Amino acid sequence: MAAAGRIPGGVVALAAPLPNSQPRFAAGCRWATHAEKPVVLYPEGMIRIQGTGQNVLELCDGQRTVQQIVEVLAEKYGAADPARIMEDVGSFLEALQKKRIVDY
Amino acid sequence: MTPNPLALIAEITHRCPLHCVYCSNPLQMVAKQAELATEEWVRVFQEASRMGVLHLHLTGGEPAARSDLEELIAGARQAGLYTNLITSGLGIPESRLPKLVDAGLDHIQLSFQDSQEGPAQWIAGAKGHAYKIVLAEKIRQLPLAFTVNLVVHRQNLDHIEEMIDFIEQLGPGRIEVANAQYYGWALKNREHLLPTPEQLDNCMRAVEAAQARLAGKTRIDCVVPDYYARYPKACMGGWGRQIVLIDPAGRALPCHAAGVIPGIQFDSVRDHSLQHIWQESAAFNMFRGDEWMPEPCQSCDRKAQDFGGCRCQAFLVTGNAAATDPVCSLSPDHHLIEIARASAASEAAQPTWLYRANVG
Repeated sequence: MAAAGRIPGGVVALAAPLPNSQPRFAAGCRWATHAEKPVVLYPEGMIRIQGTGQNVLELCDGQRTVQQIVEVLAEKYGAADPARIMEDVGSFLEALQKKRIVDY
Repeated sequence: MTPNPLALIAEITHRCPLHCVYCSNPLQMVAKQAELATEEWVRVFQEASRMGVLHLHLTGGEPAARSDLEELIAGARQAGLYTNLITSGLGIPESRLPKLVDAGLDHIQLSFQDSQEGPAQWIAGAKGHAYKIVLAEKIRQLPLAFTVNLVVHRQNLDHIEEMIDFIEQLGPGRIEVANAQYYGWALKNREHLLPTPEQLDNCMRAVEAAQARLAGKTRIDCVVPDYYARYPKACMGGWGRQIVLIDPAGRALPCHAAGVIPGIQFDSVRDHSLQHIWQESAAFNMFRGDEWMPEPCQSCDRKAQDFGGCRCQAFLVTGNAAATDPVCSLSPDHHLIEIARASAASEAAQPTWLYRANVG
């Protein structure tokens, strides 16, 4: 696990991921298909994630860093500003961490 | 046409090593000989998945009392279902745990009765607290979601903070603080289970404090007893709207408790497809829509929100399953709930429990 966001005592601080964080699904979360659309299943619920969100989450394999994910996306979307992408990816992952769907 | 359900609750057995005083299983339980066989359950899981069901909750009784639990999990996973095991932990020796994970288990929900051995045993009518702690430590190291469920009630709510601290130490990703609900066996012990209003307020404060402290680490959900609510809950998201439950013998029901309502025939997955039962059966259609609703529900703004509340509670408290849920402050039978609350508020003697009688 990346050290980012961790404070002594093993408590995960609520903070956006750092560029060197390595996001991945939290335990017990995975992709599935519902009504022919991609969804993420987690304990007691599901969330529809499509479009850019799907692209980001598919890159979260616990190996790639947030920085690397942003690079892949910047290339994919050509003209987009990497700093802006970093900001968007950060807040997207932070929201999923709060829901206990992503860890980093 | 009614949208298909999103979740299937499979009560795969009523057998259980515990005798919990708040057991929500029906008074009449299904014996082992009448339980669905492995292949029957797996066929039902496949049917459910084809209908669009996403989550499967394997429960009981104690689901680990089934020796084919691994096969059932594998069958569910193969069918594409997200599989949750709701267990006391008893019946899962440490060596069995990795087998359940290998079979494809996504989520395990382990129940605790208290933070302390003595009171836990007093509520469960059996030993097991120490082993649950051992098992929790093993679960934490495995790649699956982990919820600890703590059942709270009048007899343990005075040390809710201590219990939440204890559970936090077990390291789950999610904690469910569930006030006992008064269905099935639990209704027999209601006078000793129903909390006082002060206990309930304190419980909510403790849960909110823990939610703030553990934000981002552990999610905490809390189920409050609807006896203190102003309006009823949309029980199971409404009768036959989101969830289907199948009992050990294969009867499909809209919830855990519906079997108690007289005069309804619940069809079995042994005789009909799950799709047919969900869409066509008289039982599932009985309380859909609003034609069945009495006043004050019929003309109430909230009828599309709470669907008149819980049909089983209406029957258990008023004797009429088609009555307005008596927990609703607008119900003509609401005084029955006020009486129950008043008895909780008065100082009660040391309870003499009626421990759950089990099937073999």
